[in-house]
Amino acid sequence: MLVDDLPARAALLEQALRDQQFEVVARLATAAGLADEVARLEPDVIIIDIDSPDRDTLEHMASLHRDNPRPVVMFAGERETATIERAVRAGVSAYIVDGLNPGRVRTIVDVAIARFREYQALRRELEETRTQLADRKQIDRAKALLMRHRKMSEEAAYKAMRKMAMDRGQRLPEVAANIIDVFDLSEE
Amino acid sequence: MSIEKRKLKLGYIPLTDCLPLVAAAELGLFADEGLEVELSREASWSTVRDKLIVGELDGAQLLAPMALSATLGLGGLRKPMVTAFSLGLNGNAITVSNALFAELGLHAEEASPLGAAAALGKVVAQRRERGRQPLVLATVFPFSNHNYLLRYWLAAAGVDAGRDIKLVALPPSQMGANLRLGHIDGFCVGEPWNSCAVAEGHGRCLVTGYEIWQNAPEKVFGVVGDWAMQHPETHAALLRALDRACAWIDDDPLQALPLLHRGEHVDVPIEQLQMPFNGELHVGLGQQRRGRDHFHVFHRFAANFPWRSHACWMVDQMARSGQLPDAVMASNVIAEVWRSDIYRAVFGDSRSLPLHDYKSEGEHHLAWQCEGSRGAVTLGPDRLVDAAVYSPQSSPALA
Repeated sequence: MLVDDLPARAALLEQALRDQQFEVVARLATAAGLADEVARLEPDVIIIDIDSPDRDTLEHMASLHRDNPRPVVMFAGERETATIERAVRAGVSAYIVDGLNPGRVRTIVDVAIARFREYQALRRELEETRTQLADRKQIDRAKALLMRHRKMSEEAAYKAMRKMAMDRGQRLPEVAANIIDVFDLSEE
Repeated sequence: MSIEKRKLKLGYIPLTDCLPLVAAAELGLFADEGLEVELSREASWSTVRDKLIVGELDGAQLLAPMALSATLGLGGLRKPMVTAFSLGLNGNAITVSNALFAELGLHAEEASPLGAAAALGKVVAQRRERGRQPLVLATVFPFSNHNYLLRYWLAAAGVDAGRDIKLVALPPSQMGANLRLGHIDGFCVGEPWNSCAVAEGHGRCLVTGYEIWQNAPEKVFGVVGDWAMQHPETHAALLRALDRACAWIDDDPLQALPLLHRGEHVDVPIEQLQMPFNGELHVGLGQQRRGRDHFHVFHRFAANFPWRSHACWMVDQMARSGQLPDAVMASNVIAEVWRSDIYRAVFGDSRSLPLHDYKSEGEHHLAWQCEGSRGAVTLGPDRLVDAAVYSPQSSPALA
């Protein structure tokens, strides 16, 4: 069972697991009656986004042996600490029914970690591109302000900004932001 | 002596009692200690624990019993934890659906907290006789004082929550919605989530945590044991900043609460955050207002002192709830996890601290004074709902 609020990531992971001959019995978003679904479908393994608020619901189920003849335990053997560390850093967590073949469990968890990591890298790249783009826009705007108000050439404007950045130990986008602020103020 | 690590990441869950962390960060109190702290809002207690364990977080607001359960490896990874600072006392309450509230009214003989539990016992019995589904009550985590306070209150009226009631765990912020949708009949949760549910008409507040155990422990500031050993000066600096934050908040909580709201740490209307501090929350079968003393104590009454007897009580509740396997010797770890010695080393020179690490509970209806290192220390009332006296000396946890 997969619990993830990002349908694209969940779909990727489902495909990867199917490729390895595992059956995915359900793909859920968070806060959608997880406890009932677990009781109904009795999955062997639950792969869940580490930022899902539903994790505490699962941990509670694992603590109640009365209701659950096949308690779900977190992937938590002493030997698996390194795997858990990789999982947490990749942003994924797993709950596993007691008594499952450890080799098969490892494969599932490894596949999940790999897919979550891939997605994480993709997202980070996107975010970086986005901030880079925003930074560049800001620098261009500051440059244009200097050119208009200080009658500078484009090259002179850029040089002035770079000098300020070096003198003050600031990032260029920060210098640009300061310049924009100053001109915004003086225009009010 | 110098700080071992300047850049730190601390985790918290959106609740009123994350305020000490938020205030210390937003007011620059961490920065005053030479620390650069980034706060990380987390979605679940499980994730707070796991991120602490793998070192993604340096420290965190933690449910007090989690410091013990993680150390013992109950229900998850085993990693020795340490707490040398309690983030405050009180803050929980029990809220039930409007339907259950009406049903309780029909069965109640008295409006007291014990009367409410007794009425709940009658509803439970009636449901069983009529072959209806058991009541569903939610807490936030198996190893939480919400779970233990709820069970303790029910047990005081002869209701065995483990047998007679279906207990589930839900994220605090989703309690109200689940109540409205009829997925649960009630819950025990920390503020502001009782006030939110009441303000939005989803339910009625039935009992405050204070009415079950006055000035009970609740959240602690937790770190991994190895981290504490490797970063003693950083740890001390964090505690000093948190202590200043707690004193500032306790002085005027209404002035401090907007920090939660403004910084988007706890995303609820400010009026709902303020309800318990304004005495606006109506509580009990008689729906009477409760004073501010029923809710968070951030600093006074030695609220930040890590009482080892509090840990004893929690271990006893774990055993009572069937959470402790027989082979686990929880008593051995109490002094290793509840580090009152660290608290004493950090604050002992500047103020009077309780002389002992253990105290009994249930004997004081009013504020009282205990022996201190530099004169008496004023502590809060500590009555238990069943009027019992809890003595850590006779606790099975220390046996």
